Amino acid sequence: MKKNKNILSARNLSFSYNQEKVLDDINFDVEEGSFISILGPNGAGKSTLVNLISRVIDGYRGKIQIGGRDVRNLSSREIARIVGVVPQYTNPGFNFTVAEMVMMGRHAYISRFELEKKEDFDKVNEVMEKVKILSFAERKFNELSGGEKQRVIVAQALAQDSPVLLLDEPTSHLDINFQIEFMNLFMDLNQKEDKTIIGIFHDINLALQSSSKIMLLKEGRIFGFGGAEDILNRVNIKNVFGSDVFVGRNPVTGKLYISPNFNPEIDWGISGKPGSRDLRIHVIGGGGAASPIISLLYNNGYKVSCGVVNTLDTDTDTARMLEVPYVAEAPFSPVSISSQKKNLQFIKASDIVILPGVEFGSGNFSNLVSVKKALDLNKKVVVIDEKNIEDRDHTGGKAVKLYREIIRQGAVVAKTANQVLKYLS
Amino acid sequence: MMGTGKRTIKYILVLLAVLVLLIIVSASIGAARISLKDTALIISSFIPGIKNLISTGSITDQDTVIISQIRLPRIFLSIFVGIALAGSGVIFQGLFRNPMADPFVIGVSAGAAFGATIGLVFVRGAGLLGISATTISALFGAIATTFLVYYIARIRGKVSVVTLLLSGIALSAMLSAMTYLIMLLRVQDMAKIVFWVMGSFTSASWDNFIILAPVVTVLVSVSAFFMRDLNILSLGDERAIQLGVQAERVKKILLVMASLIAAVAVSMSGIIGFVGLVTPHILRMMVGPDHKILYPTSAVAGGIVLLLSDTLARTMLMPREIPVGIITSIIGVPFFLYLLLKSKRNVF
Repeated sequence: MKKNKNILSARNLSFSYNQEKVLDDINFDVEEGSFISILGPNGAGKSTLVNLISRVIDGYRGKIQIGGRDVRNLSSREIARIVGVVPQYTNPGFNFTVAEMVMMGRHAYISRFELEKKEDFDKVNEVMEKVKILSFAERKFNELSGGEKQRVIVAQALAQDSPVLLLDEPTSHLDINFQIEFMNLFMDLNQKEDKTIIGIFHDINLALQSSSKIMLLKEGRIFGFGGAEDILNRVNIKNVFGSDVFVGRNPVTGKLYISPNFNPEIDWGISGKPGSRDLRIHVIGGGGAASPIISLLYNNGYKVSCGVVNTLDTDTDTARMLEVPYVAEAPFSPVSISSQKKNLQFIKASDIVILPGVEFGSGNFSNLVSVKKALDLNKKVVVIDEKNIEDRDHTGGKAVKLYREIIRQGAVVAKTANQVLKYLS
Repeated sequence: MMGTGKRTIKYILVLLAVLVLLIIVSASIGAARISLKDTALIISSFIPGIKNLISTGSITDQDTVIISQIRLPRIFLSIFVGIALAGSGVIFQGLFRNPMADPFVIGVSAGAAFGATIGLVFVRGAGLLGISATTISALFGAIATTFLVYYIARIRGKVSVVTLLLSGIALSAMLSAMTYLIMLLRVQDMAKIVFWVMGSFTSASWDNFIILAPVVTVLVSVSAFFMRDLNILSLGDERAIQLGVQAERVKKILLVMASLIAAVAVSMSGIIGFVGLVTPHILRMMVGPDHKILYPTSAVAGGIVLLLSDTLARTMLMPREIPVGIITSIIGVPFFLYLLLKSKRNVF
């Protein structure tokens, strides 16, 4: 199979239900072997899109092509051989055994006038092995747990032996262990068997861990379609879901993640578009102490800069990820004169300097000196005094002395990052 | 996983053996007592090729006539009506995913009863091809009702199961009311109508059988090719389509098939309840829910059940006959309830 061929395309796809537009002029191409997550709030048209592709519903305008052929010209059996669907639930009217359920996935390969062939039994055994249900193949489906049932349904879809798998919220009613297990399985199928996977996921983070591309749907239209880095940011999520989130990066996997903001103290009133506020804020970094305030400020639309931080430092990662300008020093090296100078330039260009609970040693003592200079330059300084300065002074008292002086000289003392935000507004 | 083919053949062979045994027993009992051995010999003599191998010298012509012209037509008619009712019952229960469904669920019985009533009361003709006017009228009533219900339930080319059930119930109620009205207006025909409605094979003849058997055989056999689809349809239409089933088309075909099968059976025998409802349930407990196995085994079992019931109906209170519909209910229901209580498995 040649890669990078489009296995699924939609052109000018529109669908109305009872005169209400559910999908409106949808256009996209899905490359063979990609893993695409469709995200969007309820009613955005995600399930409708999946149902149109699998031809569960008909009567759309526009064109859908799978494997280079118009879906309208394909029989239901032909479609079932190209596209397998994993629904959220399946509720059989009768108490079939697991093996009988999985065998139903072979329907598209068995003619009306024949019985199941050896290759059908082989395929059924193979997929039952793959999703680890072979051991209870003869048990009744209705007696299984939710997670086991869903494994059977996945096996049923895999028995279709289709190059494309459509997932319609396959794990949203399952516990976290099952969600992870299924995501691993889907990623495996995508990577090892080159299956094209198009999934609707309830959990954005789950989708982000696995997908090569994200399709954001809003009110029946494609709001964005592309790599997660380009599509998923706080502004888009606010626009599509109407929810406020932080967008961060998982330090282990390097993938983006979002987390909800439940903090009522934070004023989300104005648009949080990065850089939308005029206030320039410089944050002193080091050891990850600055990361929370940097992302908080960034997510609130302030123009943020950071320094001096060491390359490989958490704060550096945060700054780089958020594309916040920063002054960096080589890893584990003391702050050089030139870096200190650059830092001072940032300070001069900003309106406010923030000093979070950074640990001070001889290497970065100059950062504290820079804060003092900011005060001398009549800049507003806010100190986040969340951890006792005595405990983070590794300079033998020098840092404590200078810190106290900074406070005496008029720095505002906040206890938490949120208090800083309150102060700023 | 054992192949469905092998399992089905195994079950069918067992059931056929029971059926053959029951045919011989049933043919031997009645007003004239004929021994099992003689009965077996007489029946065998009708099978081509075997006739020359056995000697029927000791058997009277009278016994041969009783068996061949009176008992056997009735036996085979009841078997085929049983096959039809149980087969149709399996299809309806599968389509509706509902244990309450039976062949009469969308109005076949009420339509047939109304048609028969019209035939009994108003038609004075001799019928056609040896088939009574009542039967023809009942068949017409059953088929007309089914199609009316079907077209009422059709919305934008799709058949809604709920609408189908509701319109079936509604139309049945109306037709029953009209039947009762005719009965009241023609009290002199009331007994005839009631007897027809309760179901009986009293007037069975080879003429009826020759019409019924091929029709039932063809319809039941053709439907058999849709049993994998019926299995998958029980997951719901959406899922069935995703797995490659032409859900709407298959549903229509099976609906028409099952209705026709039921209509033909009912018009020949009157309304024999319970067989089409319970036989599939009993078989589901025995062979499981896979329609590929359930359907053929239920059909044969339906033949057994109805032959057994009719044999009891004509011999229990000899020389009086009990309408077979009464037997199926009085004997069958307790048996079914016993199975329900015994069965720990959730069959539905």
